[in-house]
Amino acid sequence: MTRLRLPPWLVLLLPAIIILAAVVLVPLVLSFYSSFTAYQLTRPETLWKWIGTFNYRKAAGDANFWWAFGRTVLLLTIALNLEMLLGLGLAVMVSKVTTGQRLLRTAMMFPMMFSPVLVGFQFKFIFNDNVGLVNNALQSLGLTDVAIPWLVDGHLALFSIIFAEIWTSTSVFAILILAGLYAIPQDPVEAAKVDGCTPWQSFRFVTLPFLMPFIYIAMAIRSLDVARAYDIVQIMTNGGPARRTELLWTLIGRTAYVDARMGYANAMGYIAILLSIFFTIYFFRKLTAARSELGMGV
Amino acid sequence: MASNASHRARKRALSAAHFIGLFLAMSLICLPGLWIVLNSFRPTVEIMAKPPVWIPNSLNLDHYRAMFGGVGEGGVPVLTYFRNSLIISVTSTLVALLVGMAGGYAFARYRFKGKAALFVGLMATRAVPGVALSLPLFIIMARAGIIDTHFGLILTYVALNVPFTVWLIDGFFRQVPRELAEAAEIDGCTRWQAFWKVEFPVARAGIASAGIFAFLTSWNEYALASQLTRSVNSKTMPVGLLDFTSQFTLNWGGMCALAVLMIIPALVLTFLVQKHLIAGLTFGGVKG
Amino acid sequence: MKRLAGVSVAALMLGLSGTAFAEGEFAGVTLEAKLIGGQQYEALYARIPEWEKMTGATVKIISQKNHFELDKEFKSDLAASTTNWCVGSNHSSFASQYPSLYTDLTPLIPADQVAEYVPANIAAATLDGKLVMLPRAQFDVSALYYQKSLYTDPAKAEAFKAKFGYDLAVPETWDQLRDQAEFFASPPNFYGTQYAGKDEAIVGRFYELVVANGGKLFNDDFSPAFNSDAGKQSLQWFVDLYKAGAVPPGTTNYLWDDLGNGFASGTIGLNLDWPGWAGFFNDPAASKVAGNVGVAPAPKGSAGVRTGWSGFHGFSVTENCANKEAAAALVLFLTNEESQILESSAGPLPSRTKVWEHVVDAAKSDPYKTEVLAAFQETGKTAFAVPATPYWIEATNLIYPELQAAILGDKSVDEALQAASDAVDGLMRENGVY
Repeated sequence: MTRLRLPPWLVLLLPAIIILAAVVLVPLVLSFYSSFTAYQLTRPETLWKWIGTFNYRKAAGDANFWWAFGRTVLLLTIALNLEMLLGLGLAVMVSKVTTGQRLLRTAMMFPMMFSPVLVGFQFKFIFNDNVGLVNNALQSLGLTDVAIPWLVDGHLALFSIIFAEIWTSTSVFAILILAGLYAIPQDPVEAAKVDGCTPWQSFRFVTLPFLMPFIYIAMAIRSLDVARAYDIVQIMTNGGPARRTELLWTLIGRTAYVDARMGYANAMGYIAILLSIFFTIYFFRKLTAARSELGMGV
Repeated sequence: MASNASHRARKRALSAAHFIGLFLAMSLICLPGLWIVLNSFRPTVEIMAKPPVWIPNSLNLDHYRAMFGGVGEGGVPVLTYFRNSLIISVTSTLVALLVGMAGGYAFARYRFKGKAALFVGLMATRAVPGVALSLPLFIIMARAGIIDTHFGLILTYVALNVPFTVWLIDGFFRQVPRELAEAAEIDGCTRWQAFWKVEFPVARAGIASAGIFAFLTSWNEYALASQLTRSVNSKTMPVGLLDFTSQFTLNWGGMCALAVLMIIPALVLTFLVQKHLIAGLTFGGVKG
Repeated sequence: MKRLAGVSVAALMLGLSGTAFAEGEFAGVTLEAKLIGGQQYEALYARIPEWEKMTGATVKIISQKNHFELDKEFKSDLAASTTNWCVGSNHSSFASQYPSLYTDLTPLIPADQVAEYVPANIAAATLDGKLVMLPRAQFDVSALYYQKSLYTDPAKAEAFKAKFGYDLAVPETWDQLRDQAEFFASPPNFYGTQYAGKDEAIVGRFYELVVANGGKLFNDDFSPAFNSDAGKQSLQWFVDLYKAGAVPPGTTNYLWDDLGNGFASGTIGLNLDWPGWAGFFNDPAASKVAGNVGVAPAPKGSAGVRTGWSGFHGFSVTENCANKEAAAALVLFLTNEESQILESSAGPLPSRTKVWEHVVDAAKSDPYKTEVLAAFQETGKTAFAVPATPYWIEATNLIYPELQAAILGDKSVDEALQAASDAVDGLMRENGVY
């Protein structure tokens, strides 16, 4: 009687697959189904009212939805790129420090220790135009005598949100890149020095390529995670005023829980998922390309 | 001679720039957080004062005293929330790391059909918007009776963290050249022993990083926790933050006090796990 | 279970002939409750063990969350059909959203007991003829807080009279408030007034101003009625103040916590706000204007009507509760005279007529508290609740972006109100309201 022998890779991956199937896949299927119904939370019998693609068509035809979509793409692009650059810079600076590195690294991760709800309230008060820290500082230093409406003006509000988001997450990039910096083999770097490369050249042509896989990992994960900045945006502006900072997540969250229109919200959510999947596949492709360049195997 | 001097001057300028840049970056990072810590020690009248009070006039522990106090005086079951957070975060981190190590190893060391698809699929589970996830999850867990339990939240957080741990640890395992493990096997180790003796120590940096992230994600997570917990049975500290709000009012000082309580363990843990990040450095000397 | 229910019903009938509960009449009954959490609301729950001892029942608080999270949980429960817990915290603005969740309390609470509550509150708690909740001592209506020092300066009084032609005194109408706000403002350090800028908050303020100006938000069939002269006049009030710089420019993002903190920082002259802040504003450890706070009843609109958007918290019994009598008894206990006296001693306003008298009496020695209570009581006399449609919250989410657009100048008042009206009309039609 031959024992059924599962390939080792399957055995190793089975726990991950089972957990994700139970916690993510099953709810996914349920909510996907509900996006084809007129499901309203407060009237559960509407779950059985099939309306086909009405929700999707409604979302596709809703100007507010597409504005929010566009704004979200913009925010994601700006935030991710800035976080990467700032994280890279921060990691490089920290890696060159000789004393007190441990303290510095811990301090660098300080923003990661704040819950999103707290960050939302924190920046809401910091950017408050009347009693907030920023305006108080600017007025005390005499740089302005006007109350700058950080959370109201179209551009400033987006800036404030991006600032809050970057503040929260640059550390993620920084620590990942820092770990990557430590994992780089030293020989190529030393060889480059011996060969007479300037520090910038050795960074650009030796260090950076080695870091790219880590950068792409971080970008991919962060692009999915930024969606979880919902709490921050919801508390700071809730998509307003006058829909100026409406992002997909505030729109979907409000429609789902405040308006209780779950079916419609899920439809919007699945259109938005295409966005996330695009980013993921994009970064994954880049990741495999970078890896094969380095000969790390696929 | 001149080139030496200019070289030294350049070096000094560079290190000055380095220092200033680092100082600015660190201030920007730490200031908002420090503002919260400071707020927890100041009376509310000073926090929102205008004109602003830059040097605190009075520092006291009133917010903390109130927080630990009885129900009517502004007390919040802080220690229970803390205990819940600790149990849930630590357990889910450990489980996520184990699952992550297994999965990461599988992706790093084996080739098989559908590998790319499976990988992307795993990552894509994180693309599911919270809204699409939280209500059906609530319904399923409510029927299964695990709402408002540690187990339910731990399971959820493991699922939340696994894609990340798998991906990260996979990245670090790839850094370890196959030759190392193969050399160990030639020397008589089984694959299992080779893993623990050779590959695991080298990938320690990645596992430590993954661990820190998984812990901090679980420690700070709010959206799912607020949906899946109800009472002191399993409420975590982020959810407890909202105990300081009523329909119309907000106790900002109290919230800051709880926030400080949340930050301290995270800070301590991060500081302790730091050294494993350096473990990767030794690797450089092995590759011939 | 059925036997217990039978016994308890019999006991209840005996027990309710008076107001005292028969000892141990609900022995062995366990009630699950989902109550609102937050420091302001939890002092009352200390009384629950008393009730448990009296009746022999056990109360399990299975959920304690804040206002919005609790609403989310109720909606999730409706979706998951896990609605066999017994007692839930409710709020008059949210109650109409879950018509199927809660049971009618009329057969469970004798009429003479119901009559002891403030009639306006009971009217707002009655939806479609069903009494869905009993109000607790958390009644909210807004009165006008102001800085007293603004009215004791003779130089200011002269300048004001010269500019506007009437004496400077605490405003009694919204037009007067607007004049005074513009007069007092000196941005960026001081503003005349402020207002809520988003979500249901701004729509509520708009709603009460429309009513005060003689209009309506919705018609009887819940079609939008605010695209009217009264509506335009009301929205214009918000727009004028913003344009004149009499309110902080960030006010369109302000919610209740920003408003409260703003007034407490001493940078706002006049502030229409809720009773929960009264103690905070006069506390030197929390507020810069402590000792300088006056409270007046809410101003009137052009139709001579006082604004009075109000709501209250309370408790309800679910339709699927296994032991409705016990649950109703608990709800009655938590909102009876002693409970309301306990709760209102910390500041919140009661919803029982006799307790109002008691509270006013108890505050006699404290001039600030007396002033607060007088203002809120006066405003409470003509207070009104939100329109009783289950689509209230959803409608507000359609209205507030348009109000904001008008205030910020993105749209004209007419355009904004038209857009909002169309959107709400579309919503009502889509849901088959008419």
